Amino acid sequence: MKSKKQSYDRVAKVFDFLRGGDMLRWDSHQKSLFKNLKGKVLYVGTGTGLETVNFPPNLNVTAIDLSYVMLERSKERVEKYSGTMNRCQMDAQTTAFRDNSFDTVVTVCVLCTVKNPINCLKEIKRVLKPEGRLIMFEHVLSKNPLFALVLKTMSNFTEKLEGTFLDRDTVKNAEQAGFELVSHKNVYLDIVKALVAKPGR
Amino acid sequence: MAVCVHLIVPSDLNMFAGMLLGGFIGMVLMLFMMLVLMPFFGAFEVMIPLHLNGMLIGMGSGMLSTLPSLAWEQIILGGAVVGFFVSLYIYFANQSLIQS
Repeated sequence: MKSKKQSYDRVAKVFDFLRGGDMLRWDSHQKSLFKNLKGKVLYVGTGTGLETVNFPPNLNVTAIDLSYVMLERSKERVEKYSGTMNRCQMDAQTTAFRDNSFDTVVTVCVLCTVKNPINCLKEIKRVLKPEGRLIMFEHVLSKNPLFALVLKTMSNFTEKLEGTFLDRDTVKNAEQAGFELVSHKNVYLDIVKALVAKPGR
Repeated sequence: MAVCVHLIVPSDLNMFAGMLLGGFIGMVLMLFMMLVLMPFFGAFEVMIPLHLNGMLIGMGSGMLSTLPSLAWEQIILGGAVVGFFVSLYIYFANQSLIQS
């Protein structure tokens, strides 16, 4: 836990630089996906707040991240956002929110990073209202063996460098945590995905 | 890529060892290229093509470098052909997957 937090704090300094290319490529896909954000929104794994520029205006957002350094770096973007955005330092796997607190929960490249993605998704399900939506913009392991080989090899490096796993099956994890997939769109190959899920019965 | 592998892989190596060494060199070189290109083109958009190209061109060039009768221009041409087909494969796989 401590090492994860330290790892995020360390990466925070170069986070915007490393994600610059992704934001250029994913901008329009994120804008389209984030149209689903409604009501009281929980933004899990805020990082430096890169995605806030793609959020629809005037939302009531609670933004959480494990790393204080990341949250500090998100300050400028959060202040520029037209709606309300409150930042809290919190572990996504054990949040301090009451059951059924949010209408929408949004994650961007978070479920590839948290220590236990199923526990994190179960926690999200707990704080999400039964009729709420989970919006995920995530990268997953490809079903193509060639692409999967690259991702599995690179995962050994990225795990140590920035605590990111490239070999996770987030769709399956979401289903295991009790979510039902509402929509599923591939953004790049079958690796980067825009997903909408609802709590299962 | 093919030139780098050709310069590093000794020509007296057996073909199988040349292939393995070439593939390894290719992937290491692509790691450095990835760090340079990733902030501009996106992590996955760079990682997948670079590593597949690095591995396959490296393996092919490593294997060909152990054949003394081949000129380095032919090895470069071999690398370029592999690179072209790998890029084409990724392009069409992406088109098919994002439309599915």
